[in-house]
Amino acid sequence: MSTATKPYDSTLQAALLLLPTAAVLVAFLYYPALETFRLSLYETLFLGQRQTWTGLGNFVSLLTSGVYQYSFFITVAFAAVVVFGTLGVSLLIGYLIFSVDVRSSVYLVAAIWPYALPPAVAAILLNFILHPNLGIFTHYLELLTPLTLDWFNDGPQAFAILAVVVIWKQLGYNIIFIVAALNNIPEILTENARIDGVGRFRMLYKVYVPMIAPTMTFLVVMNTIYAFFSTFPLVDLMTSGGPSDATNFLIFKLYRDAFQFNSLGLASAQSVILFVVVSILMYIQLRFASGYGRYGG
Amino acid sequence: MATETDTTTFDAGKLAHRLPDDALLHGGIVFAILLMASPLLLAIIMSTQSTTEVYQVTNLGLGSKGLSNYSDALVNYDFSTYMLNSFVMSVIVVVGKVTLSLFAALALVYYRFPYERAVFMFILLTLLLPVPVRIVPLFQLMADLGWTNSLLALTGPYIASATAVFLFRQQFMGIPASLVEVARLDGVGPLTFLFRVLIPMSRGMIAGVCVITFIYTWNQFLWPLVVVTDKSSQVVQVGIRYLQGSAQAGLTQWGLIMAGAVLALLPPLVVLIVLHRPLLRTLTIQQK
Repeated sequence: MSTATKPYDSTLQAALLLLPTAAVLVAFLYYPALETFRLSLYETLFLGQRQTWTGLGNFVSLLTSGVYQYSFFITVAFAAVVVFGTLGVSLLIGYLIFSVDVRSSVYLVAAIWPYALPPAVAAILLNFILHPNLGIFTHYLELLTPLTLDWFNDGPQAFAILAVVVIWKQLGYNIIFIVAALNNIPEILTENARIDGVGRFRMLYKVYVPMIAPTMTFLVVMNTIYAFFSTFPLVDLMTSGGPSDATNFLIFKLYRDAFQFNSLGLASAQSVILFVVVSILMYIQLRFASGYGRYGG
Repeated sequence: MATETDTTTFDAGKLAHRLPDDALLHGGIVFAILLMASPLLLAIIMSTQSTTEVYQVTNLGLGSKGLSNYSDALVNYDFSTYMLNSFVMSVIVVVGKVTLSLFAALALVYYRFPYERAVFMFILLTLLLPVPVRIVPLFQLMADLGWTNSLLALTGPYIASATAVFLFRQQFMGIPASLVEVARLDGVGPLTFLFRVLIPMSRGMIAGVCVITFIYTWNQFLWPLVVVTDKSSQVVQVGIRYLQGSAQAGLTQWGLIMAGAVLALLPPLVVLIVLHRPLLRTLTIQQK
C-alpha cells in the first residue's frame, strides 16, 4: 500500500490499537504453545507435580509405541476417507445446485445448514438414528440388505459410522465453497463445452473440477484439518475410542493421556506432533491453494 | 416432465443420452436435501415421543409428549442454564473478537509504523496453534489464574483471532483510496474514521464475521469440557453429554436426549438461516 493511503503515522497509537489482540495472542496462544514445547521434553509424575528432564524421551516412546503408531495410522486413514467422501458428495450436490439457477438461494440454504450443526449434536443424532437396536436407519438397512449394524462391537463399522457423521457435518461448509467457485467460472467456457454436446456429468469432471482445482485443494486441506483436530466430540460421545482402539484417533488419545492419565509431558509431545501436522497442511495450503483459511480460529 | 429447454438442434437419438432435464435436476436436489435433513427431521419427531413410543422403532408419528420433553430438558436437566451460559459465552466472544480485530486491522492498514510486516506475520502465524496444540499448558494457565469454571476461561482464549484480523484487513484495503484521502485532508481522527467511515462501509463483512464467530464459539466442545467441571457454569454442547449420561438409567430416554440436541442446535441454525447472505460473502472472500 502506498504511503498516501496511510493517513496516520503515530507508532504509539498503532501500538495501542494492536495491544489487545497482541496481548491475547501472547497470553493464550504463544505462551501456552511454547510451554507445550518445553513440557514435551519432560516426564511428568505424580499428577504433574514432578517433572524430570527426559529430552526426546517422550517422542521416542510415542514413535515406538504400537498404540500411538496405530492411532496415527487410523487418523490418517480416517482423514483420507473423510476428504474423499466429503468432496465427492459435496461436488455432486454443489453441482446440482449450480445447474439450476432458479431457486438456488433456497436450495443453497437448505444444503449448507450443516455448517451450523454442532459436532456434538451431529454425534448424538446419528448415535440414535444408527443405533444398533433402536435406530430407524438400522431397522430399514437390516430389513432391506443382508448387512447387520453392530458398531458398538465392530471396529471397522465404528470407524465407518464416525466417517459418515463427519462427512454429513462437513457437507455444508464444502458446498458453500464449491458453489461459489463454480459461479466464478466464466460462462463462455461452459457455453462452449455445452454446445459441443458434452454430457452434464462428463462436464463436471472434465471441465469444472479442473477449473476449481485451487478451491478443491483448499477443501482437501480444511477437511484434513477438521478430521485431525475436530472429531473429538464424535469419538467422545459415540465410541470412546473403541471398540478395541478402532476409533482411538490422535486427538482423543491426547485428551485421555492429558486429562485422564495425567501424563502431561507425553500429552504435550503429542501436541507437538499435531503442530507438525498442522504446519505441513498450512504449508500445502499456502503453496497450492490461493489464500489461507481457518475460520473462526 | 419439463421439456428440454436448451436443445436447439432437436434430435431424438441424441436426446436419449443428453443432459438429464430440469425436473430430474430439481428432483435430485430435493432428494439430496431431504436425505441430509432426515436425521434432524427424525430427531424432531422423536423428541415429541415418550420412551415407549421411541422403542417402537418404526413409529414415525408425532408422539404423545408434545413439547414436554423440551420443558423437561430445560427445567429438570438444567438446559436453561447451559443454553444461557452458551449464549453469554458466544456473545462475549463475538463482540470482543470483532472489536479487537477492527482495532488491529485499523492499525495494520492505516498506520505507518516499524515492522508492519512482522506484526502481521506474528498475528497470522497463530493459525498454526489450534487449541489441541496448546491444551495442557492452557489448562494449567487457567488453573493458575483461578479462572477454571468461569466465563473468563471460556472466552479469553477465543477473543482474538488471526482470521478476523485478516478479513477486516482485506475489507479495509478494498475501500477506495480517494475516500481515505478526503478523510486525511479533513484531518479526521482515527477513531472517528473507524466509526464514521470504515464500520458503515464494512457492515456486510462485520455481519459475516459475527456469524462465523457465533457458530464457531457456540459449537465448542473440547475446551469447555476440559476447563469447566462445575455443572452450573457448563455450556450446552457439554450439557448434551451430561444428558446422555443421566438419561441412560433403565430404558434410555431418547426423546429427552433428542429434545436436548435440537435445543443445542437451534441458535446457530437460526443465525445461519437469517444471516446466510453476509456469511456466504465473507467465507468466500477469505479464500481468494
